[in-house]
Order: sequence, then structure tokens, then C-alpha cells
Amino acid sequence: MNLERLPNEEKLTLCRKYYLGGFALLPFLWLVNVVWFFKEAFLKPPFTEQTQIKTYVKRSALGLLFWVTVLTTWITIYQHFRAQWGEVGDYLSFTIPLGTP
Amino acid sequence: MDLLSNKWIVYLALCLFVAGINCNSVENKIYVKLNYTVPCVRLLNSTHQIGCQSSLSGDVGVLHVLESEENLDFVLRNGRNPPYMVIMESSLFTRSVMMKLKNGSSRVAGVAVVEPTSNPPDGFSPHTRCPNENTGVYSENYGPGLAHCNTTKWNPLGNGLSYEEFDFPIFSMKDDNDTQLIRQCYMDHNRPMNGSDPQYPLCAMQLSSHMSAVTSTPTCMRRNSISFSMSNDMVCDPLSDQNIWAPSKPLNTTQNGHKANESVIIVSARLDSRSFFSEIGPGAESAASGLITLLAAAHALRNATQDAQLDRTIFYTFFHGETFDYIGSSKMVYDMEKNQFPIDLDNVHSVLEIGQVGLHSSSNLWLHTDPVSMRNSSIQEEVKNLIANLKSAAAGLNVSVTEPGVTQPLPPSSFQRFLRARPFPGVVIEDYNSSFSNKYFQSMFDNADSLNVLYPPNLTPEEQLNHVTNTAKSLAEVATTVARALFIQAGGEKTQISSIKADELMVSRMLYSFLISSNNSWTQEIVGLKDVVHLNNNTVNFYISVEQQASLPTILVKYLLANLTGTAVNVTQENCKNQKESEDDKESKHLYNYFWVPGAAPPNSTERDGFCVRSTVHWSRAISPAFLMENYTTSEYSTWTESRWKEIKGRIFLVASHDLEMLTLGVGIGVLLSSLLLTYIMSSKADILFSSGREPTSATY
Amino acid sequence: MTAAVFFGCTFIAFGPAVSLFLFTIAREPLRVIFLIAGAFFWLVSLLMASLVWFISVQISNKESVSQQKGLLIFGVVLSVLLQETFRFAYYKLLKKANEGLLALSQEETMPISIRQLAYVSGLGFGFMSGAFSVVNILADSVGPGTVGIHGDSQHYFLSSAFMTMAIILLHMFWGIIFFDGCEKQRWLAVAAVVASHLLVSCLTFQNPQYVSSLVPTYVVMFFMGVWAFYTAGGSLRNLKLCLTCKDKDFLLANHRPR
Repeated sequence: MNLERLPNEEKLTLCRKYYLGGFALLPFLWLVNVVWFFKEAFLKPPFTEQTQIKTYVKRSALGLLFWVTVLTTWITIYQHFRAQWGEVGDYLSFTIPLGTP
Repeated sequence: MDLLSNKWIVYLALCLFVAGINCNSVENKIYVKLNYTVPCVRLLNSTHQIGCQSSLSGDVGVLHVLESEENLDFVLRNGRNPPYMVIMESSLFTRSVMMKLKNGSSRVAGVAVVEPTSNPPDGFSPHTRCPNENTGVYSENYGPGLAHCNTTKWNPLGNGLSYEEFDFPIFSMKDDNDTQLIRQCYMDHNRPMNGSDPQYPLCAMQLSSHMSAVTSTPTCMRRNSISFSMSNDMVCDPLSDQNIWAPSKPLNTTQNGHKANESVIIVSARLDSRSFFSEIGPGAESAASGLITLLAAAHALRNATQDAQLDRTIFYTFFHGETFDYIGSSKMVYDMEKNQFPIDLDNVHSVLEIGQVGLHSSSNLWLHTDPVSMRNSSIQEEVKNLIANLKSAAAGLNVSVTEPGVTQPLPPSSFQRFLRARPFPGVVIEDYNSSFSNKYFQSMFDNADSLNVLYPPNLTPEEQLNHVTNTAKSLAEVATTVARALFIQAGGEKTQISSIKADELMVSRMLYSFLISSNNSWTQEIVGLKDVVHLNNNTVNFYISVEQQASLPTILVKYLLANLTGTAVNVTQENCKNQKESEDDKESKHLYNYFWVPGAAPPNSTERDGFCVRSTVHWSRAISPAFLMENYTTSEYSTWTESRWKEIKGRIFLVASHDLEMLTLGVGIGVLLSSLLLTYIMSSKADILFSSGREPTSATY
Repeated sequence: MTAAVFFGCTFIAFGPAVSLFLFTIAREPLRVIFLIAGAFFWLVSLLMASLVWFISVQISNKESVSQQKGLLIFGVVLSVLLQETFRFAYYKLLKKANEGLLALSQEETMPISIRQLAYVSGLGFGFMSGAFSVVNILADSVGPGTVGIHGDSQHYFLSSAFMTMAIILLHMFWGIIFFDGCEKQRWLAVAAVVASHLLVSCLTFQNPQYVSSLVPTYVVMFFMGVWAFYTAGGSLRNLKLCLTCKDKDFLLANHRPR
């Protein structure tokens, strides 16, 4: 979809949909929202809906940041301690590479 | 597949790059695959992993032929091109060398050991000094002074290499064309000339033996069972095989539990051995000597037990997996305790075990007993009785039987697992007093040579098969002693024992079949058709391995025992296969087992005369009870598992110098960049370049 | 570190071809289509040649060394002739297609000239034959080993890559000369293409003396390149103009909208 061709109201609806959709444990929607609407929110000349779009994009970015931190921390902990956890580590894993503790 | 690769080769030839008519694929120009590769594989128990492994794609290192232990410095410190792939004669395959390599493993890519043609005179045993230390009967609660080989180290030469863990691959190689090629390659490319470092390209080797299992048996068994994982690969399997047993008179084997009025003498031998390398387990003395003696004794007793009505039943038993913490015997005792066996422990009167009885140049057998259970006077009496029977059986024969003078524990033996359950009278027959006379206990040198099975030169295989060696004679003597003692022990008349005599020719043939070649005219006659395919021209490998693989010792013992103790009956092939003597016979299968064997071909014919052998031979699973209870952390039972692997291979090739590789890359990048630049200029100026005065518009670009 | 060899050889073998593709072909869909069609035609010729080869190997005496050697020479000659036949067939097809294209296009002129077609199809032939001659060598260059355990030269990969580069460029030059020869009925040029193709293919019998096969191949390539340059409308004067950057006024004088 080309944002250029969309009227401003629809941009706002779309941005809100993506923002709300992100709460369903879908951080990638927030990522898309941030990347997609960044230009509209911060670089375009002002228009009525821009302030709202700005808020949504900011909040999406915040949520995204939260997810990134949580996931990075978890992945680091998991990779580091999987072997030590033994049984629990194995049950948490989807694939266990052959021949590694 | 073949057709496709043909085309590729064709095109290689047609288009460009192959000289002359040698349409070799590029791979053949680079690599030489090693044909005979025997790896050391990873085994796991409840707490440890032992053995070797490579990385997933195989470990690559520059070849270095190790000439002496001092030469290790080159590998571990001085050499310029680490990591090294160390090639060594088996004389250097010692604990000190291997431990140095293990500790410097960042500079060691792997080790290849060249099998020697003769055995090391000083002895070599990669097993521990105290075999099966923790799963025998002696512990803090049972003869604490005798536990952990406190009184005597049974295997003083043991260096424990088999129980070490190496994080590089170790392969064994025959001294043949491959090793010749490796040495040649080393000489041509890697040998330092006049003290200077050798020039690239260097000769290198890649060994692949990546093991799937890791850490311990609990871990790998858990990973076997995790089913939601993407790859449903099994990573390890329990070591297991079959115990083989045959009562001297038919017992109803489909009814388990206690048999009323049945008293049984268990006479046993072990059916397995091992060495550092999984596919080499000759076990001549550690397994074959005992089991051949037992088979010969069973053969000698065939007629005597049928003619005389004996009070007790003799129970010929072959335990598998005894090397790995008594897998077979612990399973049988477990079954007897759980009433899952045709007899139970109450039926067992006494136990006689035949251990290593190779009789190295002596004729003395030692009768080992358990001092702890003998504190009980009734047990002591029974043991004394058994010893007396053995002594009277040996009278007049060429062997002498002696008791160890001092108080010492039982040597490593299956009997210990019976004693763990409850006190039994029993004797373990060995050819040593306080430490193994076998210098090569569970090593690759525990072979025909070490047992002195030597044939005069220029004998055909057929003549070797029937040649009675001195070893065969002495084993036959031992077998006669055992058979006569059993006869008396079972309640037979002492006057009749002179007619019981083991057959020297049978012993010779068995020795040949187990130690030289299992595929011979004799085994072809007595091994059933469906199992003949397993016979081969090599020494039998006594390593227990995993259940999926039919193990040759089990097959051979099964058929040998059936043929030596059973009788040929007149039954059709069809009925024989269905375990019955006639169409409406439903009882026999509970008592007997029927094998259809090929038999010998009569003269002037190639068609063999098959017949049906009826015997009391039976078998049951030899798997550690730990795997039935799914308790993999137990210290009570064996927990050994063998890792699975995908590929075992080795190949040698040359490696190019780093400089040449970088030069190639540099030239490549240069060509790419300059052609990008050139084409950019040309295409941007195409109008001028390709415009002739006459036709200005038809520029190519 | 043998990935270095892999990338080095790939860049050498396909660097010029890829840069030509990027700057002159990729932007125009019609050229891409003709390039792939050219590659396909070469592939068909390969199929025919391998069929014949497969049958003749089956019926030949595998023990006789001289027969196998003769068979190889026969195979090479046959393959070269088949490739050139298919080049001619492709030329005929393109002539037909061009008429069709002319009918379709709204403009009066052709959307692509026969010279451009010659270049594009030649490069297509080159790409495919280069790929086939070097791909399985590249696959083995990843390592861990390098050629030489049987005493072969360790410059095998490098010389193979350079040979492939030459073959790709040669196919391009041959395409230009061949099409021009057909267009202008100068059968001598066509014969020269076939002859030089045969020569280059037979030069590879010199392997593993890589110098004696690579040097003559590059000499042939140089002459073919010069010939193709002139055929395509280039001249020494143009080259000079181009190099001395006196193109501005020339461009102005000659520039016409295409």
C-alpha cells in the first residue's frame, strides 16, 4: 500500500490499528508502525492528524524497545545457562543441536 | 545419481578442464578416502561421557608422524602449522602420550593409531586397574576392607585410557595401503628439510566422528524422549544384547517364577569384551577362553546328563555386557527377583563361573571364593563341597586347581551380582591368583596371538580349522575338569566321570571361529540360514554394542550351544521353523527350541543336507534394569549408553598456504572491481565507442 | 579459510560477465529475456552433446585407451559444432522474433537491434557454458583440501577460473562476430568463429600444462575481442576520442534521440 495516496484520516486509522494490534503480543506490528509512519509523523509538513500519529508512533517505539530489551535479556540468559539448567533447559528448547551440552 | 554425475564429468571433459582421458571428478583430484577407519566412539553413563568425538564437519589437521614421545614437543609447542593430526605407532599409544595430547588439545586435531602386526611385549590394557569397581558386590556395606580393589589390583597394567574423554577424534588404522599413502604424503610434503619448516602445500587429514549424545545417560535418554522437538533424532541407545542360557534338562520356559523341586547349578561365562576402539574387541582371553571352555564342557556333558538321572539341573549361562558393569547378570538376577524368569533365586543351588582360563604356560587354575558370604557356615560348607568336587574332577588331569592362600575378594565376575542379591555358594575359576595373567586385558591385543593360538605355516584355512593347538588342548583339559565337577555337583556318580571328556577338535574349531575367522566350513554347517550372512572372515568383535545390531558372538554361541548340547530330530523344515515336532504338537515349544541348520554337503554334491536341531537353548534380553525402570541416575545398575553418529570417515589431502588463498581472493576482487569500472566507463561512453560515421544510430549498447 | 579461494575464483570467473550484465542488460527487460533464451539454447546444445556422448561411451570399448582418447576428441568437436549450430538456430529465431517485435511495437524502429541481440545472446551462451564448466570446481574449492595429492598443480582452481572468464568473454565476442557474419552473409567470419572455438576447446587438451592452454586462449580472446570491437562499430578513432575525453563536441554533433 502506498501511504502517499492515502488521505490523512485513513493514515491515522491505519496507524492506530497497528498500534492497538501490537498489544496482542505482536511487537513486529509496532516495528512496522514505527518504520512505516516515521516519515509521516516527524518529517512531513504538519497536518491535523499528525500529532495523534506522532503519539502512536512514539508509543509503538516505546513498546518495541520494551520487547527488544526483554527478548535480548531472555535470549542472553537462555543461551548462557541452557546447559546448566539441564532438564529444564532441554524442555525449554525447540531444537537441541546434536552433540552439545 | 550415477547417470547425473556421469554427465557432469562428461561436461567437465567436453568443456574444458580434464587432461587426457582421465575423466576424474574434481573431488578425486583433491581427496583420498581412507577405506579402513575404526573410530573410538562416545559412551555415556549416569555421570560421565567417555570416548572421542570430532566436530560436526570433521576435524582437519596437518599430518604429523610421531616418532617418539620427545617428538611431542613439535606437536604441542614448536610446530608452525597447528592443529596437527598425529599419526602414531601403537607403541606410542600410552597413557602419558595421550594425556599430554589431551591437555594440549587446542593444537591437536586428532590421532590415528596404526595397528601393529605383533603385540607389545610389556603388555597393554586400556581398561582400569579395578574393572567394574562400583557395581560389584563389595562396598562399604559388604566387605568394606575388600571394596575398590583395596587388597589387590586385578588389572595392574590397566591405564584407564578407555575411560577417558577426548575432544578430538581417535581412529585406528590397519598397516596397509592407506597408512603407506599417509606416510608417503607426510614424507613428500610435511617433513622438515634441513631444519627449516616445510613448504606449503602441506599434507593434511580430516577425521569425522561426530557424536550426537553428550554429557551423560540421563541427558541423552531425556533428549531421546523429547518428542516436540523439530528433529526427532535419537541421540543414544542403551548397550544391550542377549543372555543365552540352556538347562541340561528341559524346563518349561513359558512359565515364569519358582519351579518346585528344582535345584539348579548355574555355570556361567561372559560373552563380551571391548577395547579402546569400538569395532575391535578380540577378547580372546577375557571372553573367548571362558565361553569356549563352557561350550566344550556342555558338549562333554551332553550324553552324561541324558543317560544319568541327576538330582540337579545344570544351567549353562552366557552373560552379555559384563564388561560394562554387569549388564547381563544384573538383568538375569533382576528377572529372577521379579519372577520374570523360568526359575527364581530360590531354585539356584550354587554358581560356578568360568573366567579367564587361557592358562598362559602354566597349568594352574585358581578357585576364587567370596570370603564375606563364607562367614555363614552353611554356605561355607557348600563352597568347600564344590571345591572338593572340582579338585576330585581335576585329579588325573593335566591341570591343578588351587585356592588363593590369602583372604581376598572375588575377582570381577558375574557371580558378584548374584551375591548382591543374597549369599550363594559359588566359585569363580580363573587362571590367575591375585592379578590377571592376561597382559592385554580388554585391549586390541587380546587376540589369537596373546592366547598362543598359533598354526604351523602353510596351512590352508580348512587345515587351520581342524588343527589342534596346545591352547586347544589345555582349554579342553579345563573344560573336562569343569564338566566332571559339574557332573559330581549335580549328583552324578564319581565312578562315571572318566567317560566325560571334552573334545579337543571342537575346542580347536571354536577357537578358530572366534579368533581367526567366523566364516568357515564348520560354522557354515551349524549356523542357521538367516544368520549365515553375519559370518565374516575376521576376528569376532566381542563389543556388546546396541540392541539394533545383531552381534556375532551371540549368534555363534546360540548355534554352537544348540548343536553341542542338542540333538538332531527328524522334523520337517516347516515344523522346525514353527517350533514343533509334528503338526499338532503344542507342548514342545515350551520346553525346547528348534533350529534348522544347513548341515554338511554330502560328497559329490553341492546341496547341503539340512536338519533340525532340538535343544534347550534359550535367550533373554541383556539390558540393564536401569533402562526398564527408567532410572538413569542409579548407581545400582549399569547405565551405559552408546552415542549415535551420522558419519564416520577419514580422508587425506593437501592444504594450500594462507598466502595462496589470500592471493586468489585478492586477484578475484581485483578482477571484479576493474571489470565493474571498465564496463561502467564503456557503457557510459558506448555512444562514442561504437559509433561509426556511417551508421551512427545503431550503437550496440 | 578456503572460502577465500571460493570467492576469489567466483569473482575471477564471473566478475566481468556480472558487471557487463549489471551495467548493460539488467535495466532492460527485453535484453534479460534474450539473455536467458540464449543461455537456454546453449543448454539444449549441451543436452544433445551429452546424449550422443552417453550413447557412444556405452557402446565403446572401455578398456581401450586409444579409443577412449579418440572418443573424447570426438566429443569435444561434436560439442563445439553443436554449440555453433545452436547459435545459428538462435540467430534465425531472433530474426523471426524481431519481425514479430516490429509488428507489435508502436514505433517505426525496432526496439532492439540485431547487434545488441548478438551481444546479449553471446553473453547468454557465455554465462551458461561458464557456469557449467566451473560450478563443480567451485563447489570443491570450498575445501578443506586443495588439488595436488596426486601431484597435480595447486594452481588448478586459479587457472580454471581464468579459463572460465576467457570462455565467457569469448562466447560474447563470438556471438557478435557470428551474428554480424550471418547478417552480412560473410561466411568467412562464421567459419573463423567455429574454427577458433574448436581451437580453444582443443587447447584444453594441453591441461594440466595450464600455461600452454591459458596463454593461447587469451591470445585468441584478444584478437576476437578486437574483431568484435570493430564489428560492433568501434574504431581506433573512437577509442582515442573516448580516451582523450574529446567526446563532448562529438556527442553534441552526433547525438540524436533514440
